Amino acid sequence: MVKYIDRESDAQLMQRIGWHQVKAVEDRAMRRNFWKAFAFMAPALFLVCGLLLMPVVYNIYFSFTKWKKFAGLDEFAGFSNYAKLPGNPYFDEAFYNTAIWVAASVVFPLAIGFGLAVFLRAVPFGNMFKNIIFLPRILAPTAVAVIWFHVYAPHGVINSLLAMVVGRPVDIGWLYQDNTVTPAIIATFVWQSVGLVMVLVLLGLSAIPKDPLEAARIDGATNGQVFRHIVMPLLMPTLVVVTILSVLSGFTTFDLLWVMGVGYPGQRTLSLAVYMYFESFQKGSWAFGSAIAVVIGIVVFSVTWIQTLMQSRVDKMTR
Amino acid sequence: MAIAAHNIDFDAIEARERAAQKKNWPTFILALLVSMIWVVPFYYMVVSIFKTHAEYAANNPLSLPEGLSPFFDNAISAWNTAKMGAGFANSALYGFVGAGLAVFFAAMAAYGLTRISFKRQNFWFMLIFAGTIFPFQIYLIPLFFAYQKIGIINTHFGMLLFYTAVCIPFPVLVLRNYLNGLSREMDEAARMDGASEFRVFWSIILPNCIGPMTATFLLQFTWIWNDLLFSTVLGNREEVRSIMNSLQIFHGSYSTAGPNLTLTAALIASLPAIVLFLLLRRHFMEGMRVSGV
Repeated sequence: MVKYIDRESDAQLMQRIGWHQVKAVEDRAMRRNFWKAFAFMAPALFLVCGLLLMPVVYNIYFSFTKWKKFAGLDEFAGFSNYAKLPGNPYFDEAFYNTAIWVAASVVFPLAIGFGLAVFLRAVPFGNMFKNIIFLPRILAPTAVAVIWFHVYAPHGVINSLLAMVVGRPVDIGWLYQDNTVTPAIIATFVWQSVGLVMVLVLLGLSAIPKDPLEAARIDGATNGQVFRHIVMPLLMPTLVVVTILSVLSGFTTFDLLWVMGVGYPGQRTLSLAVYMYFESFQKGSWAFGSAIAVVIGIVVFSVTWIQTLMQSRVDKMTR
Repeated sequence: MAIAAHNIDFDAIEARERAAQKKNWPTFILALLVSMIWVVPFYYMVVSIFKTHAEYAANNPLSLPEGLSPFFDNAISAWNTAKMGAGFANSALYGFVGAGLAVFFAAMAAYGLTRISFKRQNFWFMLIFAGTIFPFQIYLIPLFFAYQKIGIINTHFGMLLFYTAVCIPFPVLVLRNYLNGLSREMDEAARMDGASEFRVFWSIILPNCIGPMTATFLLQFTWIWNDLLFSTVLGNREEVRSIMNSLQIFHGSYSTAGPNLTLTAALIASLPAIVLFLLLRRHFMEGMRVSGV
């Protein structure tokens, strides 16, 4: 290994090759390049900063004020908006329902979508079934909510099917009762989102190269072993992405709950997203509403952070 | 996940899978039963739009309609009462112009971020991409008040402004990845020949980005078409109302409208997205692969 050619120090070397001049020229070019690039980035930067990032800053600021609509601005209120959150029966209820939502919107679509993906690979005309199950995905959530609102109606599909089973008329108001409204809306969410999970899992499955599977089979591995030791690890990145997407949509879903819960007396408690909308845009408690939005933001942030951690771990595992 | 999907040989996979689906009829029956869960709500919607109000109320919701003619009355009545014509025009404006501008601006930004070398490129990228990490709820209150103050609340301009902004960050991510993988030889050659940066972008980069730009445009277009939250908050006057907002308001008055009418309205409102999906299925799947949305 060559170490030093002579005893010249780094500084002397730089001096000899005129590094300072080179650097100055380069810096000038970089600065000129920056303004060129900035011209290209400007529309995107202005729009994103003005309409997305600035509002975030303002929202955080509002949440620390006593701000009431049109009544003088911005009296600083410290954490008092946040202090009012826990213990507020509506907030607690909304938080609890959101937790259920998130848990259910991760577990059910993933389990059912995964099961269907594996099952439908071996079924004749499997593609037809895949398309049918994917179909709801291309409908707008608002339209899905309208359809299912009537499916659950007292004179709706579910009750008439139940009536056929029990042999007498049934008129359960699925979307009007405390104990059925959340499960009913979750079922609709699952109905709509299973197709996407299934397609993503199928894509993940089909991306698995065939050679290691065959090699393992030749070496005498059983189907179960192949699945557990080869398929599952290779599918992990897909599963992580699907999980995170489900968690985030579970936290922020608004349309489905707002439209399906239109007749439910406790609508505001259906989730944090709905509660935030209700408190600010129906009741006018703007500062309180922005505090709820910050809580949602913190949760979403931590989930994204966990995602980055998990993804880097998965990347290491598969490499 | 975003990049790995490019080099999958889909045809070979499908052929392999078809070979695996031997004549396995018991599983077919099972699949048929399971898929009923997805078929029945659609069946219910289709039979309901052919019923009159009285017919719907008198019969089982799953019964077949007596005739097909009530559909026209339903469609006309839903279209007029829900003011769907205006909703259609507004949503088409927001979708085409908003998503179109967003993808174009995103392509410009991606060009600046990948083809011109300057310091702290990553910082500027993250600044734009930061627009995707916050939940939508956090934008609502400040936007509502800022819009009121400037006087662009309940205007087409205000709606377009927000939709364009919110649709920029994700295409920037996709197009930046794509451009990083695209060979630099062509644009270097053009620059040698004296082309300006904008000329390089316009005549060399843009034509090469049509694929991913279409895919992201479709994703953002459907997002805008389907959005309810922002059109409720920022554009709730009748002239600027989006299609989903009209549907939601019509549905809210369900006691007077009747299920046959609201279901017809729901179908009409979803139709453009469905048609677009069926026509451009390949591009949608491409977009889905790069995003998982």
